[in-house]
Formats: sequence, C-alpha cells, structure tokens
Amino acid sequence: MSDTNRNRLMLVIAIVMAAIYLFPLYWMFITALKSGSEMFATPPSFWPSEPQRSTYAFVWESRGMGRYLWNSLIIAFGSVILITVLGVGCAYVLARYRNVWVDIGLFLILMLQVLPASLMITPIFVGFSQLGMLNYPRLAVIIAIAAKSMPFFVVLVRATFMAVPQELEEAALVDGNSRVGAFFNIVLPLARNGILVSAILIFMQAFGEFVYSKSIIQAVELQPASVGLNSFMGPNTNEWNNIMAYATIYVTPILAIFVLLQRRIVSGLTSGAIK
Amino acid sequence: MTKQIELSGVNKYYGAFHALKNIELSIEKGSFVALVGPSGCGKSTLLRSLAGLESISTGDLKIAGELMNNVPPRKRDIAMVFQSYALYPHMTVEQNLTYSLRIRGVPKAEAKKAAEEVAATTGLSQLLGRYPRELSGGQRQRVAMSRAIIRHPKAFLFDEPLSNLDAALRVHMRKEIRTLHDRLGATSVYVTHDQIEAMTMADHVVVMKDGVIEQQGAPLELYDRPANRFVAGFIGSPAMNFVPAVVGEDGRSLAVDVGEKQTITLDRQLQPGRRVTAGLRPEHLHFVEPGQGVFRLPVGIVESTGSATYITTATAAEVTIVETARRPVRTGDIIDVSIRPSDVHVFDGESGLRV
Repeated sequence: MSDTNRNRLMLVIAIVMAAIYLFPLYWMFITALKSGSEMFATPPSFWPSEPQRSTYAFVWESRGMGRYLWNSLIIAFGSVILITVLGVGCAYVLARYRNVWVDIGLFLILMLQVLPASLMITPIFVGFSQLGMLNYPRLAVIIAIAAKSMPFFVVLVRATFMAVPQELEEAALVDGNSRVGAFFNIVLPLARNGILVSAILIFMQAFGEFVYSKSIIQAVELQPASVGLNSFMGPNTNEWNNIMAYATIYVTPILAIFVLLQRRIVSGLTSGAIK
Repeated sequence: MTKQIELSGVNKYYGAFHALKNIELSIEKGSFVALVGPSGCGKSTLLRSLAGLESISTGDLKIAGELMNNVPPRKRDIAMVFQSYALYPHMTVEQNLTYSLRIRGVPKAEAKKAAEEVAATTGLSQLLGRYPRELSGGQRQRVAMSRAIIRHPKAFLFDEPLSNLDAALRVHMRKEIRTLHDRLGATSVYVTHDQIEAMTMADHVVVMKDGVIEQQGAPLELYDRPANRFVAGFIGSPAMNFVPAVVGEDGRSLAVDVGEKQTITLDRQLQPGRRVTAGLRPEHLHFVEPGQGVFRLPVGIVESTGSATYITTATAAEVTIVETARRPVRTGDIIDVSIRPSDVHVFDGESGLRV
C-alpha cells in the first residue's frame, strides 16, 4: 500500500471514530429540535423536518434554568478561585523544593486524586453536617470540589512552574527583588498561561459537577444545573426533546469555550507555556 | 588599592559534600579576577556564594568591607550575568534593562534615560523595544551585560557568559567585556572553564579543583611558575607534557623516561636520585640539527593548522611539540629536539608540587 493510500485509510478511520464519538452530541442537538411525534418515529430521522425552536424558551421558563445555571456558575467560579489561590502557592513550593517531604506531599496529593467522589461524599457529608456547613450548601460544595480537584490543578501547575528556569528568579533576586517579589514579578507572569489553562479545566469540571451537589444541596433553589437535569428525568419520562434542549443550553457555552480555546489549552498543557 | 571582596576561611557543605574548602581570596577594587577550573571544581558555587544565591557554611565574606554572610542578594549591590543570560522573556529589552532600577523606585523617565545611555554604549539602541526571543545570541549576551552595568554595582559576577556563543563571537566578546570593565573601572569576577579566556581577560587568575584553590596569581605567573602538576597541566594550550624522570647523580640533570632514557640538564641543584615528573611545554621544545638535541624522538602523529604544526611522538609517555616553522616531518621520522634548562618544570613524583 502506498503512503497516500495509507494516509487516506487513516483519515477515514479517524473520521469514523470521531463520528461515533460525537454522535451522542449530534443526537442531543437534533432531538432538542424535534417535535414530540418525530422523536419517536421509526425509522428515526437524522435531521428534524420541522425544527421546533420554541422548545428552548419553554424549557428555560418551565424548569427555571436561569437559577440553575446561576448556581452552577457560582459553584464553578467559587471552586476555581479557591483552587487557584491555594493551589498556585502549593504547586510553586512543590516545584522549587526537592526533598523527602516534598515527595511524600506529592504522593499524598496524587492519592487524593485516586479516590472517587462517590466514595468521598459520605465522610464529607458527615463531617460537614457536624460542622454545620450544610446550612451553607453551595459553599460546602465549593469546598468539597476544591478538595477533590486541587490535586489535578497542583500537578498541572507544578509542571508549569518547573518549566520556568530558576535562573530567571535568581536574576531577579540579584537585580534587587525579594523572593516574594520575584515570584509575583517574574515567575507568575511566565506561568500565567499554564495556570489559566488549568483553571479553565477546573472550571469545566466544576461546572458539570454532580455527586457533591446532589448529595449536599437539598434546597431546589440552590441546586446547580447538573442536579436540575437529573431531577428532570424520572422513570416515566418521555419528553426527551425538552431534556435534550435543557442539556443543549447547559453544555453549549462550555463547548464553545473549549473549541475557542482548545489550541491554547493543548499547547498550554504540553509546552509549559513559557514562550 | 582597597579590597572590594574578601573571603576568609570560607567553607560550603551540601550535606556531606564539601563543595568549597577553606577559600582565602581577596579581590582588589577595579581588578578582573577569573575563577577557572574543570566542571565541578566549585567555581560556580563560589560565584553564587558571592551573589548570595548560596549561603556559605563557615567563614567570612566581605563586600566593600561589610560582612555579607547573611545578607540577601538584593542588598549586596552586585550584578550577575548568567550563562543562559536569564533575560526576562516577558519584558522588552528596555524593561529588562530597567527592571533593577524600577524595583529600587527610580522614576520612570530617569530609568528610561539610563537604559538609553547604556544601550548606546553597548549598541542596543535600535533593539530597546524588542523581546529577548527576537534577538540573536550575541545581542542577548549584550542585553545581559547591559542589565548588569546599568546600576553601577559594587561588583560584576560573570558565570560562563560566553559559553553559548560561537567561537568567533566569543573571541570578540572577550575583548568587549574587558574593554567595558576597564572603562567602567569595575570590579569583576569571571567564572570560566576555558583557561584561554581566563588568561587573556583577567588580571588575577584563580585555579580551582575539587573545592580547593590550587593557585592564584597573575596569568603569566601561573604559566611560568605553576605551583603543582594540576595547574601546570591546566594552564597553557596544548597542555604541558609530563614525563617521569629521576634526578641524576650530579643533581643538575634529569634522566627522562620517554621510551628510552635521555638526559636533560637543569639550571638548579636537586637532590640526586629523587623521583620527579618533568613538565615540558610543547611550545618550549625546539627542533635542532641531528646530534645537537637533548631528545631523539620518533614522530607519531602530525597535525598541521597552518600557523603551527602539532607533533605527537610515538613514545610511551607521549610528548607533544608545537612547531611554528614549517618542516617536512612525517610519521616515523626521528627528530631531534632541545629545551632550555630554564624552561624545564620539575614536580615532585608523589605530591605533584613544584620542586
């Protein structure tokens, strides 16, 4: 087989794989536009004959999506801010000091990452309940998410910091800056891309977080969109178009952010984001 | 002359590793000092200790008469040029130059003026708005230098600043750095592993090995009177030839072992029968007519650079000879060479110290 044919075959395989992978997303978008009868038609239609745009407005109103998304945003931003503020310092120390204690710390951090949320939720719930944190459920979820996602952030940002040459910091020290000053003036600006990318990834995780929110937040008016979507679906649900419309409204902004920034996200993760 | 930097009894340990051993060094104001030695000899550690990037374990370090042992780098008023230049990649050349001034709260207009002045002297005027990544190696090197000179520090520290440049540019920058040093009347400490750099640039050369200062002094003093075998072999290019020898019975000659025993006369009296090492610089061995030399040597390898011919002999202890006159020498020839008695270096066979 010649090289060109080989490349064509690879391309075809890639396209087929991508199609399989993206099919659910496509199905979500078109189902949201279908009418009730078309949705259950056999054979199924792959393009809605009469797109029902009104579904979106109806779902937004009837489910109170504004409030759900607002809660999701609060939880996501809260988690990102908490993780960034705490995690950047942690990652910096882990990047710059090498000794046994740092290795132990790193190991523990990675251990935390291994534990699944569904396992962690019980002890967290009991602990929060005794501390009275359940009276501030969104804050409780933010703290729980921060604890869960911090390791991921720290590991990524640590790699970014390690890519900033130590000589730059030393040059800043000799030039007359203090260690803290050198960190804020030199290291932080150079690590900015990596930190930003990691923060965006954390944001996307937190925006879709379900387990903690579902368990900790009882009051409907404080629940995020992920929990709202779950309560939309019951055992006898048949309004799939409405659910898909909900899902579309929920994920499209995130997808858009990812598509717009994907080049920077990928390069930020791989290059250490120095140049 | 006043002492600008003084080190007395300085030791540095990294855990069990003894990186600097009892360093005694004083550097006069306005002098250019080169720290030279093979990698891992402690020269960079010494320089970083001067900068305050490493702390010294014991001993005293004074800069301009003030004890600096525990003073952080920013209060030492020294400037450093790093091997990698360590230019701030997110700042323009001008911002790089003025960074130290801005930290010290110098007004913007004044800092800008200072940057323009320095840039004019180092030929960077056209490049002030550029970022480091847009500059060539030589230009980056100049920015690093300019960043050091802009604030008139008590001392300049150079950490192998030329090792990333190509050979031609290195020779050029060597002169430029020395000229700059003279014009500023600065005190400079220059770390290098290249003995040519040290010899050509410095007033005072410090040769280090394994954390110990082996010898220090003026460049030619080190060349003419090396204190031990290490310094003798390190200074000078191509390196000095070492051949085992025994002092003759009259005490004024050496029986030298280069395949066959040959005798060379000395200009000084030594203890008869003593086992020593004779040090013969390649450039001090001269061709003579057959029968008039002190050595008869079989030629092994002949390398010609045009300006000089490097001849390596086919003897057990290899001897290199540098000959500037072109002679038709070929592998397998037997040649006669001589050396002036005063050019023969003698080192103790055991300790390697100069005899």
